[in-house]
Amino acid sequence: MTSERTQDWVDTLTQGLIHHAAQRAPGPLSERLEEEWLADLAERHGKLSRLRLSLGCCWAVYFIAREQRIATVHAASATVAHAGFVGYPREDSSRLSSRSATFFVVVALHVAVLCGLAVGLSGHFTKPTAAPFVTRVIERVPPPIDLPRPPTPNFSTTTITLPPDVEVPPIQAPLPLVDAKADVSPAPPVTDSAPVPPMQPAVLRLNGSPGKGFPNTDDFYPDIEIRAGAQGLATVMACVDAKGRLTSNPTIVQSSGRPRLDEAALKLAKAGSGHYVASTEDGRPVSACYPFGIRFYLRK
Amino acid sequence: MGKPERDVRMSLQTLKVLESFLENPTDQLSGADVHQRCKLASGTLYPILLRLEAAGWFVSRWESIDPSSAGRPRRRLYRLTPTGLKRAGEVFASFNRGVFA
Repeated sequence: MTSERTQDWVDTLTQGLIHHAAQRAPGPLSERLEEEWLADLAERHGKLSRLRLSLGCCWAVYFIAREQRIATVHAASATVAHAGFVGYPREDSSRLSSRSATFFVVVALHVAVLCGLAVGLSGHFTKPTAAPFVTRVIERVPPPIDLPRPPTPNFSTTTITLPPDVEVPPIQAPLPLVDAKADVSPAPPVTDSAPVPPMQPAVLRLNGSPGKGFPNTDDFYPDIEIRAGAQGLATVMACVDAKGRLTSNPTIVQSSGRPRLDEAALKLAKAGSGHYVASTEDGRPVSACYPFGIRFYLRK
Repeated sequence: MGKPERDVRMSLQTLKVLESFLENPTDQLSGADVHQRCKLASGTLYPILLRLEAAGWFVSRWESIDPSSAGRPRRRLYRLTPTGLKRAGEVFASFNRGVFA
């Protein structure tokens, strides 16, 4: 019962499809194709085979109608050209040809791709391949320095034996010191280690020193050294005759450490010529050279 | 539908249809018979039959029966024309030589 109902349903469907396909065929062929296809349908026994035949007829009528239209247009064009006109065979422009449909499909695909790129579609699918760069400061640890241990000093006691005929030089009087506060200062002790010729013990010799009226150190203190706060002591060697005058230009025997102060000390010693106290031997003034100190210092 | 012969585009399916008729050129075959021989789908077979008929290679006629008494529709029978037979022979001859007309 069910099989018969299904058979009826398939027959109805296939005959309807064939009728529908034949109606779409060109007029002269419509009745012929419907009867021809129904006759062929009657020779098919399987339901699926009958259904395939009817569907194939729907597909076939499209090509049949298309070829029929082309043949008609060719014939019409030939007639028009024979009458003196140049005709161009055209298909029915009311329907899309396969070429036009392909063109529109390609245009639609391009528009879709461009829209996808415009809205940033690619950004949803791309993933960053690497983390952003991060700058780190790497501290460089200096390698340990292995310095060799200093050698242990070898202290050894050496005995120095002096020759028996070495004479110890006598201790001289201290050098006179010219102080900025006082015009004349007592001579400082002389610690010069230069060899001094042996003195005859019968002669009592006393070195001279800057005397009364000797210039003041403040008058020769360079201003630039005062601003710099420089202080120092320069030892000057002066050769003085019996009348207290310089016999030669004084010289620096021990620098103060600052050239400007040494130069000022020489100017002061030169300016003091005639105001020196001459050295004496047994109380008599004699011409001799002796050192004395000139100190430049700042008062608070 | 007999028309002056026209150029027919030769395809593999067209050659199969011609081959089924060349087995016995005097046979009159319906669409169902051709389908049984070359196993072509109806969507391909019927346009080829109509194309060859329009080109003058085939002629067709209705089966000589009474549909009401037979209880079925009339079949459309196709047959090769002398021109179709000659052209089909030339096509297959050139095909065998490697030259496809």
